[in-house]
Amino acid sequence: MSSNVKSLLDELDKAQKYPRLSAAEESLDHLITLVSNARKEIEASSDPHTTIQQYFPLKSLPTDDPAISEHLPLVNRAIIMHLLREGQFGVAATFTKELQEEKAQRYHSAMGDKLAALPSDELQQRFAEMYNILEHMKARNLGPAIAWARENSEELEARGSTLEFELVKLQYIWLFLGPSVNGLPDDANNGTFGAMCYAKQNFDRFVDRYGADLSALIGALIYSENLADSPYKKVFDIGSKFEDVAKLFTREFCSLLGLSAESPLLVTCNAGTLAVPYLIKYMAATQSKRTEWTQTHEMPFETPLPDSMLYHSIFVCPVSKEQTTDTNPPVVIPCGHMICRTTLERLAHKNSRFKCPYCPLEARADDCKEVIL
Amino acid sequence: MADEASKINHDSQLLLDQQFLRLPYELLRKNFRSFHVAFETQSTEIKNTLKDIAQKSFDGKLSKQQADKELAQIQNKLYNLKRKLATSTQEEDRYFDQIAARSRETREFLTLKTVDDVKYEPWSRRRLNRYLIDYCLRHGHLDTAVEMAKNAEINELVDIDAFVAMDKIQRSLRGGSVQEALTWCKENKKELRKMQSNLEFMLRCQQYIEMVRTGKKIEAINHARKYIIPFSDQYREEVETICGLLAHGPNTTIEEYASQFSPLRWHQLADAFTDAYLKLLNLPNAPLLHIALFTGLSALKTPACHGAGNATTASQLSAEDTNMDGVDGVNGVNGVNGTNGTNGVNGTATGRHKHHHLHGTSAVSMTRVCPTCSTELNELARNVRYAHHSKSRLLDQDLIMLPNNRIYGVERLREYAAKSGLEGKYKDLITGEVFEEAKCMKVFVT
Repeated sequence: MSSNVKSLLDELDKAQKYPRLSAAEESLDHLITLVSNARKEIEASSDPHTTIQQYFPLKSLPTDDPAISEHLPLVNRAIIMHLLREGQFGVAATFTKELQEEKAQRYHSAMGDKLAALPSDELQQRFAEMYNILEHMKARNLGPAIAWARENSEELEARGSTLEFELVKLQYIWLFLGPSVNGLPDDANNGTFGAMCYAKQNFDRFVDRYGADLSALIGALIYSENLADSPYKKVFDIGSKFEDVAKLFTREFCSLLGLSAESPLLVTCNAGTLAVPYLIKYMAATQSKRTEWTQTHEMPFETPLPDSMLYHSIFVCPVSKEQTTDTNPPVVIPCGHMICRTTLERLAHKNSRFKCPYCPLEARADDCKEVIL
Repeated sequence: MADEASKINHDSQLLLDQQFLRLPYELLRKNFRSFHVAFETQSTEIKNTLKDIAQKSFDGKLSKQQADKELAQIQNKLYNLKRKLATSTQEEDRYFDQIAARSRETREFLTLKTVDDVKYEPWSRRRLNRYLIDYCLRHGHLDTAVEMAKNAEINELVDIDAFVAMDKIQRSLRGGSVQEALTWCKENKKELRKMQSNLEFMLRCQQYIEMVRTGKKIEAINHARKYIIPFSDQYREEVETICGLLAHGPNTTIEEYASQFSPLRWHQLADAFTDAYLKLLNLPNAPLLHIALFTGLSALKTPACHGAGNATTASQLSAEDTNMDGVDGVNGVNGVNGTNGTNGVNGTATGRHKHHHLHGTSAVSMTRVCPTCSTELNELARNVRYAHHSKSRLLDQDLIMLPNNRIYGVERLREYAAKSGLEGKYKDLITGEVFEEAKCMKVFVT
């Protein structure tokens, strides 16, 4: 009997050692405490969010202006043209597709919206052509560029462009330098002989305008053996000539399309980031004074722009401090000083004589000339 | 002469870029909070069940199988929590990567001293891409945004996911579903209350309106009791109108009630949601591109950009071709051009037009085409004011007035004359007229 009791007691002792749920609770509690502590630690350590609030407090930006937000079709068009000129034809296509899908949806919804006039496929073809030519130039093949310049030579010349000549000149130099430099086959079309033949065929049409340049190029043939010591060394130093001509080509190509060589979107956004602080400052000032913009045509504050962002000459009349416009054009007094039309009218009543505000000379309104700056 | 204006003031230049630097932090906080909440609720839940089963087993009310089952459930919950932690951690890592990439980008910017720095161009091009992507994301052109980010390799520098999430809810609202927006409200309840946003109230009202519209009046009343009446202190008038709908029904002619049934309300809801979403993440409510374009155009624009002299050049390179897409929309957009209705809209000069605009643009070869004059932006720029200048700024020094009253810089005149093989004469850069130097006159700008 006692052995039975003993074994029962043993069992009970064992049962004491069975895992218990309270143990699970304890260890879970422990776990939770650990995680909680970890979290507290994270929270206590400088929260990156508070840090950024502290060192980079949020500054409010100007609100949307209807001049832009109500003309989204124009913005979209500008973006597509930007993408095309950057050669991002795939993105441009995706964007166009998305816009058209939305347009189709909008027709069915109650939201009436102006249609976006999208740039044509033709523009894309033009830019594809441009990038194709640039690719070839990168690979030192001027052929397509020269063909394009020849095709458009009339327009280029009227613009006073030197592109066509620069291209032909570079082609000549490239051939002149021979197979060791240009890597073209060593035959009669290459080297000094090839260059000479090329000159014969192509230089004629430039004699009138670029005579001096041409004789230098031809003269260099004499020195072909020791060009490095010749006075023509610089002319034949290939350096960044291909890149320079590529830049000139891009500019001319865009100009013939009526477009600037730099993306207007890029330049405008760059100017915008320069101007934003001034707009914010101005807004803060008017808000405290509760005044409003009164000038309807002109911005009420000045943004200093770097010279690189100056595209038109700006004449501010030294007397009235007003910018000249089509309705108030600049006027030159016979002494050579410039003022604006309104100032002139104020100075010279009924064509009476008046003294130039800047020098002792006198003049009459009739002697002053409206000019185009 | 040093160009003062070309110097970069880094602090003020980054004003527009605030969102790029801040948003990852906002999302980091949101991510942390969402795990925090999950952890908090789960851990109390687990603790309570544990206590419960411990008590029960102590009282002998719990069988071994039952205890095992309960514990397995707890185990499951913990696994779930762990899984949630893993995704949150992943997200966190992504935000930290973004922060690192953006601070690199900002550091690079700090090394640029002037806008004429050669490195400014590629940097500002990347910035423009970020603006463009932001624009596309905010206007729902998601595919374009994703493709742009991929092509420009700036995924880390833009916040695609945050805007995709916003777009999804916007679309669901425009499509007539409040569910997604309500879930979002629930997730951000605390913050929305802090902002005093009425979004949830508006969504609840919309649900109610739909019930009334479909004639489910009892359901509508129950819904109103539960979700709308509690707001009646805050939005007394609105609640009264809403209650009135029950009496008037969807075919009412009373403007006040009829407007509630308008499908436009869905778009208003989408806009209200967008406002709340952006505000919650401390994001500006206009696309950055809008602000940059407005300030940029108005800083660059001069009276000459839309002046009489320019109208010809701009319009002559417009295409009259009718086969191009969307030409019909054009006149409605610009409408201002006096001489010629299509103003450079298709942006390409076809063969026959090229000959036209030649005469107008010959001078341009020597100056650069101005961005506000360029076809891309000319029409858009029409709507902004031109820049204010207090001092004359001339492109050329030493001006010469030709007998035809046109003024050019003497250097450009000499260059052009030399190119044209003229001596002692000047050739007009635009009209091509040739004049004796002696007949030209120096002009002074003070």
